[in-house]
Amino acid sequence: MRKFLVILILAVLGFYLFEAFSGLGLGFPRFEHGVKDYYLDKTVSELHVANTVTSIVVSFRGFDTLGEVTVLFLAVSALGSVLYKRRHDVGSRSILFASSGIVRSGSKLLFPAIILLGVYIFIHGHLTPGGGFQGGAIIATGFLLMLLAYENFRVSHHVLSYVESLAGIIFVVIGLLGFIDGGTFLQNFLPSGILNELFSGGVIGIIYVMVGFKVAAELTGLIYSVLHEKD
Amino acid sequence: MSIFEIIGAVFLLIGSIFLFLGGLGIFRMPDVYNRLQAGTKATTLGGMSLILGVGFLMVETNWAWMVKAIIIVIFIAFSNPISSHALARAMYKRKRYPIITSKDENMDAYREVNENEKKEEDA
Repeated sequence: MRKFLVILILAVLGFYLFEAFSGLGLGFPRFEHGVKDYYLDKTVSELHVANTVTSIVVSFRGFDTLGEVTVLFLAVSALGSVLYKRRHDVGSRSILFASSGIVRSGSKLLFPAIILLGVYIFIHGHLTPGGGFQGGAIIATGFLLMLLAYENFRVSHHVLSYVESLAGIIFVVIGLLGFIDGGTFLQNFLPSGILNELFSGGVIGIIYVMVGFKVAAELTGLIYSVLHEKD
Repeated sequence: MSIFEIIGAVFLLIGSIFLFLGGLGIFRMPDVYNRLQAGTKATTLGGMSLILGVGFLMVETNWAWMVKAIIIVIFIAFSNPISSHALARAMYKRKRYPIITSKDENMDAYREVNENEKKEEDA
């Protein structure tokens, strides 16, 4: 009886799934009059950006990205406010035993390389896959490595908050400068440059660098406050 | 087909053989330490060979690929052994000891030290 019921439910689900997907026409263009052609045309011809995804995230929907960065900031501040009381007893990091000498000296060697990789990824955000969020996350993993390897490695919360605020302010100021030049928020006001070169795409590169700094500072602060939580 | 392309293809073949052996080792070995050894040794050499092979394949069209490949190889040579060392050490400190089939009691001489270390910390 139970098996019969299960088969019946699966059959009903399968029928509706099939019905839903049978009308899709996979492999054919579904949106004839959407914005996709506009994005694909304007990315190369007007913005001179090699990476279409970046041009959509930072230029066409840059306002949305500003919201995302703000959401991340809000999450980090909420976590910091929850963990604030426990942070008074500094020096107690929730690590069970000290890391070995191999990890210590190795992470000293790898830390600059990881930071360099993160910086490379967010500087080349408009040319290659990747961008501000990914590069910032990689930089935060570099700081996580140092925090795990050295018990007395400290990150200054003041410096982090200054970097974060400055990056956010520059993002908004670049957006507002678009008002003065073109008329809309986040309008490109710098020369677009030549396609596929490092200095191309106008403000997109600068905005992605700022997003990278902001995400790196936020995630590092988040890791730091979580590691210093005491049970 | 130039000499660099042949060298690159040979490197790719070596790399894929070693990565396959690493996967097989992770699947076949009995405990964490054996699996770590199989996985780390094979993926270090396999990954390095694969990336060097890509560098050799592209060296005629764009030599910058080779420079980047060498940087990545150096990074793998550091990061892969260090991370597996940290994993194995953490497992040992949490008292997940290796499987020993030998009758010799002094086979794992570090175990006693490890147990005593933990007791001193507790006391």
